[in-house]
Amino acid sequence: MDALNAARRILEARRTEVGVASLLILDGPAEGARRLVFADGTAEGDVGDSDLAAALDDLGARLVTGELAAGRRGRDAGTHQVDAPAGGPVQVYAEVYLPPATLLIVGAGHLALPLSRLGHLLGYRITILDDRPAFARGERFPDADDVRLVDFQAPFAGVEVRRTTHVLLVTRGHQYDYECLRRLLLLDEPPEYVGMIGSRRRVRATFHQLREEGIAVETLERVRAPVGLDLGAETPEEIAVAVAAELVLFRRGGSGRPLVEVEGVARRFFGESDAG
Amino acid sequence: MNTAEAIDTLEALVRAGAGGEPVVLATVVRTRGSTPRKEGARMVVGRGGILAGTVGGGCGEGQVLETAGEVLGDGRTRTVEVDLTEDLLTLSPAVCGGILEVRVERVDPPEIS
Repeated sequence: MDALNAARRILEARRTEVGVASLLILDGPAEGARRLVFADGTAEGDVGDSDLAAALDDLGARLVTGELAAGRRGRDAGTHQVDAPAGGPVQVYAEVYLPPATLLIVGAGHLALPLSRLGHLLGYRITILDDRPAFARGERFPDADDVRLVDFQAPFAGVEVRRTTHVLLVTRGHQYDYECLRRLLLLDEPPEYVGMIGSRRRVRATFHQLREEGIAVETLERVRAPVGLDLGAETPEEIAVAVAAELVLFRRGGSGRPLVEVEGVARRFFGESDAG
Repeated sequence: MNTAEAIDTLEALVRAGAGGEPVVLATVVRTRGSTPRKEGARMVVGRGGILAGTVGGGCGEGQVLETAGEVLGDGRTRTVEVDLTEDLLTLSPAVCGGILEVRVERVDPPEIS
């Protein structure tokens, strides 16, 4: 399969929300051959050798199920060695395309505009909810996949909220945040990431109400509120960067500290000679 | 999760194919050391220059673009090793320090039958 057909099939799989691993052979007699392995168990692309195809299908299956990461540090691409019985080991470059996770932004105010844009750039599928017709309009959010007018008494009616969904609560009022957060935390499988904007006071008031409803402190501790990294952000755009930075931190697992402090190049490599 | 850029480059390939235009796909397949981009970074290059994506900004992209021109001409796939360690002590803006292995292949539009 050539790169053009592979690109077409990968984009189709993405639209139909089927995970796919794209495997490209880098050496040996089948150099340049591509095989696509789909999460539904099917595979496409002739590599000229059934043993090699079987070995590739095995690798692909482990990649699309998440059993094996495609690249180092959880990256979605990388090169692997595959042992094909007949021809010996071959190097295989793998890319993995999993259905995009949804970033659910609740509240379509000023902050939702840069959040929608940054979320899109980070690869999320964007859904935005609000109860105000003037704000919940698709034209305001060119990067959003779905903008819905909802009732905050039942904000998630008809909205799919999975464990892998990332939710940002940025409504205009504490009572709406409370309603939404309560519903999310009472789900059988709450989303793995729930962030809520707000001052310490506003967060405390929301948590206080939820405690009175019998929600455990451990559950509340998992809520990222106030959401975002401490950057001293002031404007909606700056705040959105701080929130997006936390989403990257959650995905990649960094320290959240400035690299200059983490690496300390000047101090580590030149500190002593300066002192002497 | 795939970035918007990863999807953009696939869409650029499909668009070029539909437009009947041969293009070049350059993909970072291996890296060693500290490189600006990692495995999976890629760009699509047409006759007029870059159509989508990047394999590393100033760091070595010129070398890849030069190879892309050759590949577009003769259709032969090449693997370029971009060594960024040599520049480490110069004051060039392309100081990154690492090695990128970039596979550069021509992607032809489907033949009309």
